[in-house]
Amino acid sequence: MTGLMDIQHIRNFSIVAHIDHGKSTLADRMLELTGTITARQAKDQILDTMDIERERGITIKASAVTMEYEHDGQAYMLNLIDTPGHVDFHYEVSRALTACEGALLVVDASQGIQAQTLANAYLATESGAEILGVINKVDLPAAQPDLVAEEIEHVLGIRKNDCFRISAKTGMGVKELLAAVCELLPPPADRSGEPTRALIFDSQHDDYRGVICYVRVVSGSLKVRQKIQLMGAGSAYQITELGKFRPDMRPVEQLGTGEVGYVIANIRTLGDVQVGDTITDDARPAPDALQGYKPPMQMVFSDFYPGNNTEYPRLRAAFDRLALNDASFSFVPQNSQALGFGFRCGFLGLLHMEIIQERLERENDVDVVQTAPTVSYELLLRDGTVKRIDSPSELPDRTLIEEIREPFVRLEIITTTDSIGGIMNLAESRRCKLVKTDYLSPTRVMFDYKAPLAEIVYDFYDMIKGISHGYATMDYEFTGFEAGDLVKIDILVNHTPVEALSLIVHRSNAEARGRKLIVKLRRAIPRHQFEIPLQVAIGGKIIARETIKAYRKDVTAKLYGGDVTRKMKVLKRQKEGKKRMKSVGSVQIPQEAFMSILDTSD
Amino acid sequence: MPSKSHLDPLEDVMAGVALGLSQGGVPTKAGWAEAAGLYVHVPLCRSKCRYCGFYSVPVAGRDTGRLVAGLLRELDRCDGVGFSTAYIGGGSPTALPADQLIGLVRRIHERCPGVEEFTVECNPGQVGLGLLEGLRRAGVNRLSFGAQSFRAAELQRLGRGHCVEDITRSVELARWAGFGSVGLDLIFAIPGSTLADWQCSMESALDLNVQHVSAYSLSFEAGTAFEALRDAGRLRAVDEELDRAMYEWAVARLQRAGFEQYEISNFAEPGFECRHNLGYWANRPFLGIGPGAASSWCGNRTLNDPDIERYLTAVESGSEVPGEVQPVSSDDMICETAVLNLRMRAGIDLAEFERRTGHDAMRTFAEPIQRYRALGLIEVTDRAVRLTAQARPIADTVLCDFAALE
Repeated sequence: MTGLMDIQHIRNFSIVAHIDHGKSTLADRMLELTGTITARQAKDQILDTMDIERERGITIKASAVTMEYEHDGQAYMLNLIDTPGHVDFHYEVSRALTACEGALLVVDASQGIQAQTLANAYLATESGAEILGVINKVDLPAAQPDLVAEEIEHVLGIRKNDCFRISAKTGMGVKELLAAVCELLPPPADRSGEPTRALIFDSQHDDYRGVICYVRVVSGSLKVRQKIQLMGAGSAYQITELGKFRPDMRPVEQLGTGEVGYVIANIRTLGDVQVGDTITDDARPAPDALQGYKPPMQMVFSDFYPGNNTEYPRLRAAFDRLALNDASFSFVPQNSQALGFGFRCGFLGLLHMEIIQERLERENDVDVVQTAPTVSYELLLRDGTVKRIDSPSELPDRTLIEEIREPFVRLEIITTTDSIGGIMNLAESRRCKLVKTDYLSPTRVMFDYKAPLAEIVYDFYDMIKGISHGYATMDYEFTGFEAGDLVKIDILVNHTPVEALSLIVHRSNAEARGRKLIVKLRRAIPRHQFEIPLQVAIGGKIIARETIKAYRKDVTAKLYGGDVTRKMKVLKRQKEGKKRMKSVGSVQIPQEAFMSILDTSD
Repeated sequence: MPSKSHLDPLEDVMAGVALGLSQGGVPTKAGWAEAAGLYVHVPLCRSKCRYCGFYSVPVAGRDTGRLVAGLLRELDRCDGVGFSTAYIGGGSPTALPADQLIGLVRRIHERCPGVEEFTVECNPGQVGLGLLEGLRRAGVNRLSFGAQSFRAAELQRLGRGHCVEDITRSVELARWAGFGSVGLDLIFAIPGSTLADWQCSMESALDLNVQHVSAYSLSFEAGTAFEALRDAGRLRAVDEELDRAMYEWAVARLQRAGFEQYEISNFAEPGFECRHNLGYWANRPFLGIGPGAASSWCGNRTLNDPDIERYLTAVESGSEVPGEVQPVSSDDMICETAVLNLRMRAGIDLAEFERRTGHDAMRTFAEPIQRYRALGLIEVTDRAVRLTAQARPIADTVLCDFAALE
């Protein structure tokens, strides 16, 4: 492609879908049909990327691919902006959508609309993108495309006859879909005459080249060697390289209005770049920045402590590495009286936490003890100030607090009609308020709840999966903080309060929760050489006690010459078992115990 | 009644000295210059006890003469090794015909003149005066009887082949034969038994005026009938509290009777400790001969093939006895020494530990020592580290922290 493409022939779009509904397969098929990659490359693509990662320590997310496509005798530039990371991440989905004029909403023909489909559709609508409904996997025997089309019309208001029926796997209908992308999705607005403004919608760290910014040029243009300014950060840089992903990085001299590509400008760390910031020309800056994104709000927090204090520096290094490529993950040193030195980590949500956890274990061989995830609270203090706290341990004295506000979410659950009763009972027991019920079809129903995040943060998803035999899906979105009658439950282990086991709960079920909680703890903490009292205190008053009995007899009776090797192995295992535990005074608390406090099952 | 001098264990030691035999350090072919133990395993039993996890096969139909010859062939290879203690165990050594067992002892004694303590494990009811006198004359100076219980119902439950009277008579015969060092093994916490049952057994044992008592809490060993019955829900292990009560009662009772608890499960009148077993807990080297016998020698722990036929074929053809050889890393050696030492009342002798391992136990195990000291489970003197009385019933929960280095 030489020179700048006519803006009228540029299409910027995303594919949004529930996990496993075929987003990646559709993307691969499009890359193939447009000749961007060969069929063979499509298969090898993932592997190649991983090899590069391994060999050179580079991670390049091909999350914005430029394709050339001829339609009706016209050359089009199609920029497919993939949603990087996990599709569950609203924030990442929404920032990708902001760089697009259109979105393909993919729904599996046999599974129908799922909670994530809906959440993604709302995001697309909010971002003003034109949405095309796509029903995928229509070639499967279990496909019910008519039914799914009706659901789409009913829930999303996209006319059922306008939905595209495709099989991304076989390629059926994908050509027609590409044609529709050219015909039905709008081109970018022509603002080539205005001062340069480019939206940074993602960023990536490369060990050799520093930060690679993924940008969408909204007005004006970007050129190599141009001096630019990050409007939010107020910092200036010089562009050293511009390019497009095809899908490998291919340098260009210039990126024009409406185009999508990457910018490299000697930016050292991800911390220097705020995704959502606007790039403008340093000499002729635009008067206003583009409307960025709200910075991702960390809603879930959890403490990570090294199993052994000597591993603290290793844990710190591991977090440093993780944070390098994930700007939405944060960690701050934390010193707990009971657990020693560790880190308090903030996550966008539970899934995000699980991903970080997994990477920590897989990529860094560090034994960690993690505390139960908690949500963030907002406090209105007597002196009129408002304060955010990320941990029950930060709660100041009760007399200083006017009110405690907890985060609420809009919770959507889609399930089958036969599990309605079970799900509604569960939701009610978790203080969720039903806002709306909608029948998607005679057998599928959608609930819209207003729910306290704290109540759904731990095992709620597993429980609705259980109730619905794996069918139900859920998604949630933060709506705001609201005051509630909340109290703090403290746990004393062997007469010592352990903040990491504290919880903030609603007063109505605080006592019941407290009692249940120490029963769980009694089962989760192994016996010791001495008796361990467990106590629950609410507002400083002890309301319940359990006792972990001491070992009374645990000794090998016979240990002679022939028994040594075997016995040493047994003792080593016994010692090994203590490794993933955290010492609180002389009590060893295993990882499961910290999590068990959120387990509300009987 | 035997003369007083026959009851004096020192007599044998003195006899050895008089013959000009070395006492402590014994030069060996491996260049090992310290007292080593010799263990001879006789893997034969008249019948299998239902709780026993040791390796043994029925004696009936076996060519026991060939086995004894085989054991001696294996011993031949240890020519030049000096042993200070010998122990024939099993299985049931007394399942061998009397003349063969006596012959085995005699040959070992001839070959290992430095042996100062020579023990043979005996099954009550499987010993006559002739056998015992023969053993005594051949060089045995210590007997250990597998009494297990003085309650008929318990003996039956355990599947023992003897009755209560067999124990009493056997111990009396041993005394007649001139043995002045006799020990009894007892088992407590037998499924279904009460504290009173245990007290009865212990009192009966003390009535026999033995010098040594081993009191073992019954454990469910892998592959035993007891284990299968427990797993099938047909046998229930005694309650942990009762197990502990039985143990503590025994410790107190034996102490009153003048026995010192010199190891978790072993009690002796002063001077009658089993030196051979003390060698295990000191982590001194020992050689085991016979099918299924274990050795600890030159930095390896080895286990002979338990299959009698394969074992005999190998020794008879002059080839290496098949089995497992496991090198003990220096870390493992340090840990083994600590764990084994701590089972003894004397604990870790700090100077001896450093001499044996090259490490300072106080520094190597600083963390667990400090932690358990604070909990009153370990006591430290300027010469030793040892478990407290409070720690012994739950010793494994403490010892596991000495089983591996950080």
